[in-house]
Amino acid sequence: MTPARARLNEILVTLPSAGWLAVLFVVPALIVVAISFKPTDPLGGAGAGWTLDTLKSLGNPNYPAILWRTLWLSITTTALCILLATPVGYCLARLEKKWRQMVLLLVVVPFWTSFLIRIFAWKMLLHPEGIIKQALAGLGIVSPETPLLYNQWAVLLVMVYTFLPFAILPVYAAAEKFDFRLIEAARDLGARRFQAFCRVFLPGIRRGLFTALLIVFIPALGSYVIPDIVGGPGAEMLGNKIAQRVFVDRNLPHACALSLLLILAVLLPLTAVLALQGAREKARPIIEEGA
Amino acid sequence: MKRSLVPYCVTAAILVFFYLPILVLVVNSFNTSRFGGSWEGFSLVWYSRLLNHREIWHALTNSLVIAVSSSIVSVLLGTTAALALHRYATRLQKAHYMLIYTPLIMPEILMGISMLLFFIAAGMQLGLFTIFLAHVTFCISFVAMVVLGRLQDFDFSIIEAAQDLGANWWQATWKVLVPLLMPGLVAGGLLAFTLSIDDFVITFFVAGPGSTTLPIRIYSMIKHGSPPLINALSTILLAVTFAAVYISQHLLEDKT
Amino acid sequence: MNAPDFLEFKNVSRHFGSIRAVDQVSLSIRKGEFFSLLGPSGCGKTTLLRILAGFERPDTGCVILSGQDITQLPPNRRKVNTIFQSYALFPHLTVRDNIAFGLRIEKRPQREIDHEVERMLELIQMKAEAGKFPDTISGGQKQRVAIARALIKKPQVLLLDEPLAALDLKLRQRMLIELDLIHDEVGITFLYVTHDQGEAMSLSDRIAVMNSGIIEQVGTPAEIYEAPRSSFVAAFIGDTNFFEGRVAELIGNEYSRLVIDGFPDVTVFNDKQLAVNNLIYLSVRPEKFHISRERQEKSPRHNVVPGRVEEVIYQGSLTRYWVRVQEYRIAVTQQHSRFLLDEKPITWDENVWVSWHADDGFMLERYSQSDEQLVTLPE
Repeated sequence: MTPARARLNEILVTLPSAGWLAVLFVVPALIVVAISFKPTDPLGGAGAGWTLDTLKSLGNPNYPAILWRTLWLSITTTALCILLATPVGYCLARLEKKWRQMVLLLVVVPFWTSFLIRIFAWKMLLHPEGIIKQALAGLGIVSPETPLLYNQWAVLLVMVYTFLPFAILPVYAAAEKFDFRLIEAARDLGARRFQAFCRVFLPGIRRGLFTALLIVFIPALGSYVIPDIVGGPGAEMLGNKIAQRVFVDRNLPHACALSLLLILAVLLPLTAVLALQGAREKARPIIEEGA
Repeated sequence: MKRSLVPYCVTAAILVFFYLPILVLVVNSFNTSRFGGSWEGFSLVWYSRLLNHREIWHALTNSLVIAVSSSIVSVLLGTTAALALHRYATRLQKAHYMLIYTPLIMPEILMGISMLLFFIAAGMQLGLFTIFLAHVTFCISFVAMVVLGRLQDFDFSIIEAAQDLGANWWQATWKVLVPLLMPGLVAGGLLAFTLSIDDFVITFFVAGPGSTTLPIRIYSMIKHGSPPLINALSTILLAVTFAAVYISQHLLEDKT
Repeated sequence: MNAPDFLEFKNVSRHFGSIRAVDQVSLSIRKGEFFSLLGPSGCGKTTLLRILAGFERPDTGCVILSGQDITQLPPNRRKVNTIFQSYALFPHLTVRDNIAFGLRIEKRPQREIDHEVERMLELIQMKAEAGKFPDTISGGQKQRVAIARALIKKPQVLLLDEPLAALDLKLRQRMLIELDLIHDEVGITFLYVTHDQGEAMSLSDRIAVMNSGIIEQVGTPAEIYEAPRSSFVAAFIGDTNFFEGRVAELIGNEYSRLVIDGFPDVTVFNDKQLAVNNLIYLSVRPEKFHISRERQEKSPRHNVVPGRVEEVIYQGSLTRYWVRVQEYRIAVTQQHSRFLLDEKPITWDENVWVSWHADDGFMLERYSQSDEQLVTLPE
């Protein structure tokens, strides 16, 4: 095949997907960036001309609190998910094949059930007349007046519930490849069980942990439905503010500026993790040579 | 060596954590009580009400139309994308890969708002068609990744063998490549279908009047409607999911 | 038969970026010949084969098959067929359908296809497995299906890309014999690509030895082994010892005396007609040496040098010695014609005499230091 013909073929197979995404993904993203430099039109939508006022208004005391809450909830969710996913991944990798398939399926099935329904299930449980509330109140752990629903803790709980399967899968995938004789070797060299777990198992599944971190943290930052359903006005996240600016105030420039903030919040940890991972991969041969 | 029981206990606890809410929901769908704080007797009243709920059936139809059409189109586009990415190692493909990869890590709400603004700017009427466009957009990347995974251990000398034996490009594609990639295409298509039928956030942004999908209907019922009806609907959806999982597991077992 | 230049490569080059995979290669192959391209991995032999099959286009040069320039034809319009290294059987088709594939593409009548497929199944003795899928048959059977699938197209040239590489030793030996039989039976030209000198030597009518994109030597297996033209061929095919020296004196028309730094003077057959003071490289194969405790009678055409055994490796049918002769450490192999223990074998640190006939040393036209790496040396 001549080079020109090969090039043409390449472009022909690339064009459908690249063209579609260029029009419906890249152009829309550029529109978001552009509109965040537009002034607000009091009648809704974007005004004429260009301005930096919209971006400056992000300094409005309202926003840092929401950004902070978004970060706090996402970081805590990610930490909890990884904390819980690690023993599950370990357990799955060590189970006999028959059991492993069963448990793995049980972990994955919630992922296939409707996202909204899982959130709704928790709303019903935490509801003042729901069974958790009834049970806790009955046992005298909480007073009947304490609301379980519509606060940050409810949001955190449901976020962990929703994202946990996503964390378990990469951790399990890494743990499955882990050579468990290494733990025996560590024990043989005098490590206690917990030491062996921390010093041999965790570094061994590092890649899985990094993947879990990104796979939970990024969608967590963009959460919108969970705080909307089980959080109250005091538990709003960045996503809720964006939706509110779009649907309630029709203040599109503000919505776009907030979106930029969210993109920034996504990109920072992403590049950090990728750089860290890259640096580690590069550093490894040197360490091994030295050892 | 004695193993620690801690991970096993944590796993068991997490499975309870996963299934307890679902179980309560299913039980409550048969409960006469409205909020399910207490058991007030078995009844199928919520199911019969659900059957007569015209709007839900309408939303389900919309969801199915969109899921089927968008998964077909995204399988086509995702597969060509995967073939291009696998076949060529040029700078164009590096950019192409970025383009395919970024939607995977983009929070849904951002895709929702950006496409909404695009449709407004383009003067398009929001409705089933805009939902279809949006769904294809986020499904392409998932399909491409699934098919790319399949291609990773695909022996391309098989295509050369077909050409060597006299097949032209078209024959090699249809008689060899497509049949061999079929499991990947089916897997990608099912993933796209699942993602599409379950999507709420993006759909919520780009839907217009009269284009309510099932997740949007469920959302408005959660916000304003009657909980027992959702319990009943959820139970039906869960049953469908579990049945699908069960059947697909059995099909897989037969194959291996 | 034997019409020369049935298949010709003329100045064929193919570059990948800055790598010259095939560099100005010209080669003619005769009709009905079993021709091998032999060389280490990355030497360009597979690229040359793929150029013939049509999967690669040469940057320059052309390929001519029975008088027709086929350089620009797509693979599906060339009358050559390939046995792929991985066999590349279609996993979704049965053995029968795999074999029928080529004829189905040609849209031949069903009856004819059935007939031809039956004939092929008979040839490869796989009638019983006709309905099986490729992943349920053994490696040797896959190989045979791949051969039948290509042969049914009645190609003018059958291309074989390392077809035995994926098989284990015993099976490889059996398939070697089968390939030979099939070649005799169908009588078409075989172009065989391999890195295994044993396969190439035992199957081929002629061999082209390739290295870094160029052809080092073309010849019959015996020519290539006994009279290598370059240090690469000498070292790649079998093992050898290299000596670096200077022609010091001509002995008659045919022989000359060489002075070698750090080695006694030796007599060699001077087929290259080199004059005095020419620098030369000499290759002597390990089995050409004879080793003994007693000094051999020195005749004018015999070299005899004293040495000391540094290493002995017993390998069953033969023993390998490494013998120190001044600054050289030479490899010698010796066969055992008698029961080893009756021989009182030569062992470490013994002083020995090494002798060889002047005709057994071969002067090389091209020499590269790096080729010494190809020779097996003791650690």
